[in-house]
Amino acid sequence: MKDIKRFFSNIKKYNKYAIRSAKAELKSEVADSYLNWLWWIIEPICFMLIYTFVFGYIFKNNTQYFASFVFIGLTGWEFFNRMITGSVSLIAGNREIVTKVYLPKYILLLSKSYTYLFKTGISFIVTLVLMLFQHVPISPTILLVVPIFAILYILCFGLGMILMHYGVLLNDLANLTRIALRMVFYLSGVFYNIRQRLGGTLQYVLLRANPAAFSMDELRKVCLEGKLPSFEGMLFWFAIGILLCFIGIKIIHKNENSYAKVI
Amino acid sequence: MKKSKEIAVTVKDLHISYRGLKKTSIRASWNKLKDKIEVFEALRGVSFEIEEGKILGIIGKNGSGKSTMLRAIAGIFSPDKGSIDLHDNSISLLSIGVGFNKKLTGYENIYLSGMLLGFSEEQIKEKEKEIIKFADIGDFIYKPVKTYSSGMHSKLAFAITAILETDIMLIDEVLSVGDAKFKEKSYNKMKELISDDKRTVVIVSHNSSTLKELCDEVLWLHDGKIKMIGEPNKVLSEYEKFMNEAK
Repeated sequence: MKDIKRFFSNIKKYNKYAIRSAKAELKSEVADSYLNWLWWIIEPICFMLIYTFVFGYIFKNNTQYFASFVFIGLTGWEFFNRMITGSVSLIAGNREIVTKVYLPKYILLLSKSYTYLFKTGISFIVTLVLMLFQHVPISPTILLVVPIFAILYILCFGLGMILMHYGVLLNDLANLTRIALRMVFYLSGVFYNIRQRLGGTLQYVLLRANPAAFSMDELRKVCLEGKLPSFEGMLFWFAIGILLCFIGIKIIHKNENSYAKVI
Repeated sequence: MKKSKEIAVTVKDLHISYRGLKKTSIRASWNKLKDKIEVFEALRGVSFEIEEGKILGIIGKNGSGKSTMLRAIAGIFSPDKGSIDLHDNSISLLSIGVGFNKKLTGYENIYLSGMLLGFSEEQIKEKEKEIIKFADIGDFIYKPVKTYSSGMHSKLAFAITAILETDIMLIDEVLSVGDAKFKEKSYNKMKELISDDKRTVVIVSHNSSTLKELCDEVLWLHDGKIKMIGEPNKVLSEYEKFMNEAK
């Protein structure tokens, strides 16, 4: 309980820094480019168009509203992917800061996550525009995107803290996560509908054991099909997420002041 | 609330070793099963106290644990054994240009760096003008830091850390940056900061004459232990004698 209290008081104290640092990072990403902030919009559109073309036309896919289907999947996936990849090298990447001042280390992750949330937000808006363009019937269930995403965020944050810690200790972790993420990517049904393509145990396992696949599937349900998500599943992943956060906070609190010695 | 009026820093039986965490790879872990793990003890059982408003100098040869100690007091390292009590004082390690984002303007970086040092937006806003004035880099403050000359860079960085003051200041080597004029200005500012009656200061340096000039007390670290602590002239002359003999 002491850890939780300390966590929230730290978040309160450093949240403003995290926001400012996130803004600074976003600004600096586009500071020198000619099209400047337009890149935040152009980039997701281009990637999604490429994927839609390749998987929709070349590999022929008959899923309804396929482009929207892919856009929603990718939006969820990109956030998950960025959080995991980003956290592994987070401490080493902020060597300058870590070795010179004390900062609760999850603030680095918090700040990073804000930049990802911003990009995810844009990606969602792009998706929404496309849905209107494709005349997807929009039902009020779309509002449930918020809790589904909140759960994904908590889950990624917890996992991120744990990976952040082991990323300091284990040099190969970045390579391992890259491979693992690639596998999860293809098993998450970004380009295909797990519920249609796969049957039986495989479908059951993938949708339940893979949080990325689960979130994507639920996001599509509420956005495209106007269905309610699986509340039971959401509760399950919410619990897992809280548990991971709890473990992550404990690990970080215990070890964070030793990171400066290692990197 | 400060519990104790006189004592600002209490260090008790401080041990720090570089073993606790070790960076490793999968392959190295295999080898490690055979090899013994090397432990390097940077500090072994250091205890001392600093009174509020006092200036403590730390001297010692390379690798004697000076910087480790300073970083431990700053809270960047955690002690493996023993404790450090700051009695609720705010603290900062005077380091140059922490958290700068080179693509952004100097102005933006004042906030980034200041907030990273633990100051609130409002506190920085209050001191903003003073920082800009002290840094004295003209319109460059509104240009990206990467366009700065190295002198300008350190001027701004120094201004940020020097103007945003804390109860306890830790200084790793007395900083003198920029051109001759700014060097003098920054040295004087440093002296002004240090000699404030309320402020407790810890300075690490190789330079005996600087320490002699500034400090109330000097601590001599040798191989992670205190060799001597006390009056600057006495400790420093012993230290010099020792270092000359070692040659």
